[in-house]
Amino acid sequence: MALDLNMPILVVDDYKTMIRIIRNLLKQLGFDDVDEASDGTEALGKMKERKYGLVISDWNMEPMTGYELLKHVRADGALGRTPFIMVTAESKTENVIAAKKAGVNNYIVKPFNAQTLKGKIESVFAD
Amino acid sequence: MGGTCAPIRVDHCVVRAYGPPIAMEPGRTSPWGWNVTKKAAVGDKIQLALLVKFLKQKGRSDIKIDDIIGLAETMAKTLDESVLTFGAELHQEFSAIASEISSLRRDIYELRPDQIRFARIPEAGRELDAVVESTEEATHIIMSAAESIMAAEIGDAETFKAMVDDKMITIFEACAFQDLTGQRVRKVVKTLSWIEERIARLAEKLASVSDIGVVPVEPETEDERRMRELLLHGPQMKGQGVSQTAVDSLMAKSDQDDIDRLFD
Repeated sequence: MALDLNMPILVVDDYKTMIRIIRNLLKQLGFDDVDEASDGTEALGKMKERKYGLVISDWNMEPMTGYELLKHVRADGALGRTPFIMVTAESKTENVIAAKKAGVNNYIVKPFNAQTLKGKIESVFAD
Repeated sequence: MGGTCAPIRVDHCVVRAYGPPIAMEPGRTSPWGWNVTKKAAVGDKIQLALLVKFLKQKGRSDIKIDDIIGLAETMAKTLDESVLTFGAELHQEFSAIASEISSLRRDIYELRPDQIRFARIPEAGRELDAVVESTEEATHIIMSAAESIMAAEIGDAETFKAMVDDKMITIFEACAFQDLTGQRVRKVVKTLSWIEERIARLAEKLASVSDIGVVPVEPETEDERRMRELLLHGPQMKGQGVSQTAVDSLMAKSDQDDIDRLFD
């Protein structure tokens, strides 16, 4: 998969501040087409309306968590191959393993820096 | 003592009843099923069994500690000589119960439940709300300043530097929130310690006067179930949880077998 700076990216987080941080970091990396959603349900709705090149999602949200969103996306024939990066404060080993089992492409532990985000995005598209 | 006092003569002994006087009128049945008639005998084992059964009932909202103290004290104080003759031991037991309950009441009073409920907890909640509000406000100010710098055109170097300097001062000022939030959080921690200390003291005293045995496991709430099933642990403390390097290592494991081996 090639890294396309024009691809639309969906950032999912229930904290506006975190969305703003990720949006600014993505802008610094050259990504300008960024949409946002405040939980898994809203994200799923947006993903059905628009094809995103990457989803960057938090884990702990209500009503639908990022983990549930990931499982829904992977179970959906049309959305199943969308690259998905989890960005979360959930840093227990069981969370990382559960996310990997559910088909996450990469996993970033909060707090993180621009370099980590850049590295993970590049790594997902290098695979 | 909180209850209403209604002296009633039952046979040859006077019973000072706590609670609504109507409950102890002759011919009426008290809340614990004690049928107060002229023929009722205070020492009657059946009546006592009813009283004990009533006191043992769990989940009754109409039993107040004052009622229990009242009953125990009444029983202890009003047992007449005829009862004492064959019930000295019983009298002693009731006296001990009354004494323990009085002590327990003092302990509960020391816990200051009203102060916890109406002052300490709401105050702690307000402090935490203020922390959330001030960190949000500071974050907004800092991010706006950073966004302005990022969006600025570097046309005239002097103008650009002046703008950056100005925004930096704004960022420094906004960082003052840390001092205030630190103080607020310390107040909340102090409140939690205050409550913890009192509850621990009460629990210790309760454990010394009663054999509670195995505490039944409370059923899992809907929220707890969601947290368990969806692995919602929240942020870990420093030194706990896995680092980004460890996460990368886990993600790099090529297959499930590699991951499973980590748990062998």
